[in-house]
Amino acid sequence: MKRIIGTFIFGALFSSQVFAGYAVVVHPENTSEIDYQLVKRIFLGKETAFSNGEVATVLTHSPDSALRVEFDEAVLQRRTAAVDAYWSKLVFTGRGTMPKTVSSDQEMIELILQNKNAIGFIDTSSVNSDVKVVKID
Amino acid sequence: MKKSLIVAMLSTAVALPAHADIRINGFANLVGGVTGSEESLYGYDDTFNFSEESLFALQASGSINERMSATVQILARGADDYSPNFEWAYVSYRMTNRATFSAGRFRLPLFKYSDSLDIGYSHHWVSVPQAVYDVPFNNIDGFRLDYSDFVGDWEIKLGGAVGAFENEVSGGVITGDNTYMVNAELSNDWFSVRAVYGGTEATFSQAQLDAVVGQIGQANAGFADFLAIDEDTANFVGVGFNIDRFSWFLSGEYTNIEIADSYTPTDEAMFVTAGFRAGKWTPSLTYSVFEGDEVKGVEELAALGQPLEAALTPAVLGINAQFAQNYQVATATIRYDYAANFAVKLEFSQYTDDLVEARDASLARFAINYVF
Repeated sequence: MKRIIGTFIFGALFSSQVFAGYAVVVHPENTSEIDYQLVKRIFLGKETAFSNGEVATVLTHSPDSALRVEFDEAVLQRRTAAVDAYWSKLVFTGRGTMPKTVSSDQEMIELILQNKNAIGFIDTSSVNSDVKVVKID
Repeated sequence: MKKSLIVAMLSTAVALPAHADIRINGFANLVGGVTGSEESLYGYDDTFNFSEESLFALQASGSINERMSATVQILARGADDYSPNFEWAYVSYRMTNRATFSAGRFRLPLFKYSDSLDIGYSHHWVSVPQAVYDVPFNNIDGFRLDYSDFVGDWEIKLGGAVGAFENEVSGGVITGDNTYMVNAELSNDWFSVRAVYGGTEATFSQAQLDAVVGQIGQANAGFADFLAIDEDTANFVGVGFNIDRFSWFLSGEYTNIEIADSYTPTDEAMFVTAGFRAGKWTPSLTYSVFEGDEVKGVEELAALGQPLEAALTPAVLGINAQFAQNYQVATATIRYDYAANFAVKLEFSQYTDDLVEARDASLARFAINYVF
């Protein structure tokens, strides 16, 4: 019994790390269709606009945040350093504007509230009615 | 080229509205290197040198409006005593979300890494393979159109550029008028292939060569005209592929540059590179080949018969010898991502020359790459 509980607890811990808790969020009024592929393309600068034609403002977290590292690896399938190197290439070739970096979920939510075309990600525990969660699975 | 039009467009760009959102970015490469004793390669010799490939750059981009932006990149190269140079200065107009038109001075997208070859941080080498990338027409003044779209999981990029260039090379000046190129790239998450075709009207002038060709011209004007690079058609063909599975990568490029009616041989250059990413470390191996030792003008001269053939052969062979190159370079590199936007690299290259054994050289370089 103890062992089962132990396994359960360990499993819960383990899975909370793997399926952690980032949520891709946009402005509540953003009604365009957004899927996993579009999120990935927007965060890699390959796609610049939503399906309604509006140009996306990309927001991310600083490279030393655990949430950012997790998002980059799970969604973009790249290490954060590789994502930064990739963006530096776009910036210096005039093909993109470096995503704006925020320092907290709070700041991310505030910026999204101010900008109908912003897209970012926050910890699931920070989700509130100010933002709309995009399903990307 | 319509330089006046470009200047006009750029000056509109400079008159940015006061509220314009101006972004400043920069990058720096500090590169040092040393060859084996009594050797030289890529400007390095057997005393340690910091300035050959080091560079510092600042880039400013401003949005003129939702669709229009202006970009200026000022680059100071150690090889030019760090005197700042306007590497790029162009205005981009986003016609649609898929198509962008640019005018000004920009990098010609001849190679896979063309756009970012100066940004050490963006690639895994200390220096992109010089056998392929060291061409005197990386930047041009002109117009460029870029288009990208998605078909299923595939991204398609198409581009075209027209313009003119002028550059110093081999102790002379090369100019290219009516330069054009088209490129196409097909890629998915981990695989890409690209192809490029371009052409220009090339003119090359270098005092010593011009004198020799001038003397040949007194003997036979038609043959001298064949030899000289004077508004002669030059063609560029390039293909490349890239496989990037993030934990490992493999890529290669092949280019062919030909000026048919001239004293220069057709240059074929290629490289293959492979490496893997283990945490902060990226070790890689690169092998480059350059072949450009075809002897030009001998058949054309033979057709003119004696005594011309005997009289001019030494001069023709002499010119050929100036341009002939045939070598391989084997390179091992390790990149370490020290911090975000900051990488350190160490690279060893072994250069083997098939024509002149004395040119064989080994080179050790390190680089510190930073972007902000």
